Amino acid sequence: MKGYKKYYSNKIIWYLLTFVVAVILNFILPRLMPGNPVSAIAIRATKGMTSQTAIQKVYEEYANTFGINQPLYVQFFEFVKNLFKGNLGVSFMYYPRTVSDILAKSVWWTICLQLPAIIVGWFLGNILGAIAAYVRGVWDKGILPSFLFLSNMPAFGMAILLQFFFGVYLKWFPTALGYGYDMNPNLSLKFIGSVIYHYQLPFWSIVLITIGGQAIGMRSMSIYELNEDYVKYSRFLGIKDSKIVKYVFRNSMLPQITGLALSLGTMVGGALVSEIIFSYPGLGTTLLAAISGRDYPLISGCTLIITIMVLIANLAVEILYGFIDPRVKAAQQD
Amino acid sequence: MNNRWKKICSLLTITTMVATMAIGCSTSTKTVPTATDTKTTDTKTTDKNSTPRNETVYYNGQQWGAITDWNPLSSNSNNAMGISQTNSARTLLYETLYMYNMLDGKMYPLLADGDAVWNDAHTTLTVKMNKDAKWSDGTAVTANDVAYTFDTNVKYESPGGADYKTYIESIKATDDSTVVLTAKLNSAGIALNPLKVTEYLPKQYVMQKAYLQKVEARDNNDATKIKTDKMEDFVGSGPYKPSISNDQKVVFQRDDNYWGKATSMWGKLPVPKYIAHNIFKDNAAGDTAFKAGEVDVSQQFISDVASMMSGGKISTYLPESPYYLAATMPTAWFNVNRPGLDQVAVRKAIALAVDYDQIIKTAMSGYSPSFTDVPRTLMNPSESEQALVDQTALKSVQWTGNDIESAKKLLDTAGIKDTNGDGIREYKGKELSFKAECPAGWSDWNASLEIVAAAGKKIGIDITTYFPDANTFYDDLGNKNFDIAMYSPAAAGISNPWTRAFGILSSSYNKIKTQTIGNFGGYANARVDKILELIPHETDQAKLKAYYTELSKIYLTEVPSFSLMYRPELFYTVNETVWTNYPQEGSKSDKGIGIPPYDLTDGYGIAGLYTIELVK
Repeated sequence: MKGYKKYYSNKIIWYLLTFVVAVILNFILPRLMPGNPVSAIAIRATKGMTSQTAIQKVYEEYANTFGINQPLYVQFFEFVKNLFKGNLGVSFMYYPRTVSDILAKSVWWTICLQLPAIIVGWFLGNILGAIAAYVRGVWDKGILPSFLFLSNMPAFGMAILLQFFFGVYLKWFPTALGYGYDMNPNLSLKFIGSVIYHYQLPFWSIVLITIGGQAIGMRSMSIYELNEDYVKYSRFLGIKDSKIVKYVFRNSMLPQITGLALSLGTMVGGALVSEIIFSYPGLGTTLLAAISGRDYPLISGCTLIITIMVLIANLAVEILYGFIDPRVKAAQQD
Repeated sequence: MNNRWKKICSLLTITTMVATMAIGCSTSTKTVPTATDTKTTDTKTTDKNSTPRNETVYYNGQQWGAITDWNPLSSNSNNAMGISQTNSARTLLYETLYMYNMLDGKMYPLLADGDAVWNDAHTTLTVKMNKDAKWSDGTAVTANDVAYTFDTNVKYESPGGADYKTYIESIKATDDSTVVLTAKLNSAGIALNPLKVTEYLPKQYVMQKAYLQKVEARDNNDATKIKTDKMEDFVGSGPYKPSISNDQKVVFQRDDNYWGKATSMWGKLPVPKYIAHNIFKDNAAGDTAFKAGEVDVSQQFISDVASMMSGGKISTYLPESPYYLAATMPTAWFNVNRPGLDQVAVRKAIALAVDYDQIIKTAMSGYSPSFTDVPRTLMNPSESEQALVDQTALKSVQWTGNDIESAKKLLDTAGIKDTNGDGIREYKGKELSFKAECPAGWSDWNASLEIVAAAGKKIGIDITTYFPDANTFYDDLGNKNFDIAMYSPAAAGISNPWTRAFGILSSSYNKIKTQTIGNFGGYANARVDKILELIPHETDQAKLKAYYTELSKIYLTEVPSFSLMYRPELFYTVNETVWTNYPQEGSKSDKGIGIPPYDLTDGYGIAGLYTIELVK
């Protein structure tokens, strides 16, 4: 186990370093954008006012509250200090809502939209790839290429197509919102049914695209594995087919798991356009609104979460590899 | 080992998937507690799960995000559906003393009783309270509430308080049902601006004194805390109360004990039991829902309403073009301190050359009267404002646009010619090259500026369009960091057209370093400032007409900015699948007063909620 310790501690140190650099960049970059967060908010607040002193006062009040008058390094230390306390700050645009409050609500929508879709897409894609490699025939020549074709469509294109055909034209599925427009959230079956019904189009717009990519990868890996010496040798030895398939599967899985973990990590970045098209108030739309509104704390909060999730996902994969991939295990024992 | 590992893995993933779907998909909700749960009727079961379609009026285009607070003192409330203290204030939850009607330019009493009366010296304004007015908790709305609301606004410097403090000395309750507003006087002992005093009446909400005191106590009289208080437990006097508010929708439920059902007010309750607004992410989603009948009243800009109307269910206030009633004029502002643009000839030439009919047809989809129908002035096309200006006297300075020859002649006469043959005129040796900007994504405005740029090309002035994101634009606008910028001045209100004229022409804005209210280009004219000072004190209609005509004349001669089109303040399109008898041109309330096209919620438009009917 001693080898493991060195392997892991090395990795973790690098990840922490990456994290620190990411936080610094997340802080500085939005603030380098031209534009002043106070302007947009003040326009709304001072609408209809005619008194000059009053207008000035509103501007100053905002500038002071947001602390944007102070030099950049002072703001940075404030930010880091608050970060250690777990306080992500107060949003400018949604003042006085805190960033953590806004993110907590948005992240749920994004996770709900993407997690089931990514996992189901991954499963179906891998199964399709394995079948295409093993059985071949129409699976390999017809179904796989058509899914591959679909997978190259951009996510928003697929979303709009599905929405148009199934929502507007055929009227089979609703076009927007998370649940029935006249329903109020509760735990009745009718409500949950409505949620699932409304979820269909966004769900399939992500799944259909994911399948193709996964399938082609799995297919390549499977074919490669099926031609390996150990497979041929096992066949000659008379080992059962199902047992051989298990070995093949396990070896092909490795890159696929990496892919899954990375998808899950970046998923928090939000399928921005899907969210906009289907009116899901997730992280992607929050980030977009924050950038247009120069809402620095909210931008930093969003990008921080995305950074953390991606780093954790990467780290998890590395750790998982240590357990799954016997080559790593072997390397440690030398 | 392998077997177990795989089994564990697959089990984990499946459980996570199911768990997230079940748990995570119950969205975060915030059911706002109703203030007092008095006699609840039999609708308890239906309230929980859905709002009945035939008891709900659905809206779009008002609310674009989850509601953050219910606080009229807040300067950053995004609660557009419930709180809108504008000239035509939204009186669903909170109420104002009067309601402004942009059709006839008059105010009609709501919490007040009868007209507001000035004293002879025009220094105090007296308002009587409607004795039937009650808060949702049953207590009466008194003059003390009005006085305390003003004092609170001023004390904690809410935007309303900070602004009106300059014009109103005090608001006092001489008895439970009489309110006296005392204007701030200037050095000559005359009211500084009587118009702004009157403007307070239909614009600012009246809040309950007892509730305000409760909020002050729990926030320790701290201004910031009070202004950012969520006020979820607020006490209002309006016909509706918040029922559901989350990041997907907001629903108001009718208060069946609403005082307005007394004969001194509406005589009955508003017809819809629920007012709901689903929060769509953009116009397209809202439009799709509107066409499908899931939205009844739409405040969104619909780019081709004529083809939508051909289905028969959709209708607008006016049966034909321009379909909507205009209340403001999106304007192109010149930065009059920039070289080239400081010359009247250049400004007027550009204004003459623009093809306004093209703008109205393509950018506004025909939703505006043309400048031939309503020749340009400082007034909007409404009857009440047009009566204040003498169109015949202004004929010599007006123009209808697309007049390339006159524009060229103007520039040639001023000596601004193209000397080096590259097609662009020079002034004092420098090429006339300008950027015209407005926010990206505001497609109708973007299209308008493209037409302005095309006009510039025809007369030898290089105008390029520039569409930054909204934030950068406001920054440029507020700091005079532009050549030509597009923005709208004030719309319709009791203090208009004075507020609009002030916003377009007053030099008082030039002293403020960053401001986004008006006169963005930095224009100054002493005579204009003088007239703007005189108008609020003038009650003689003939004299007012002379003033406004003179202002318009100066405006059209010096062209510090020019209107690109007329535009409604609010868009108002309705779907008659479930509800009908919406206010349309010529519609009158039960009292015989014309109902303005303000989405059945703003100003006197709320009378529409009492005349609306279900489709049989």
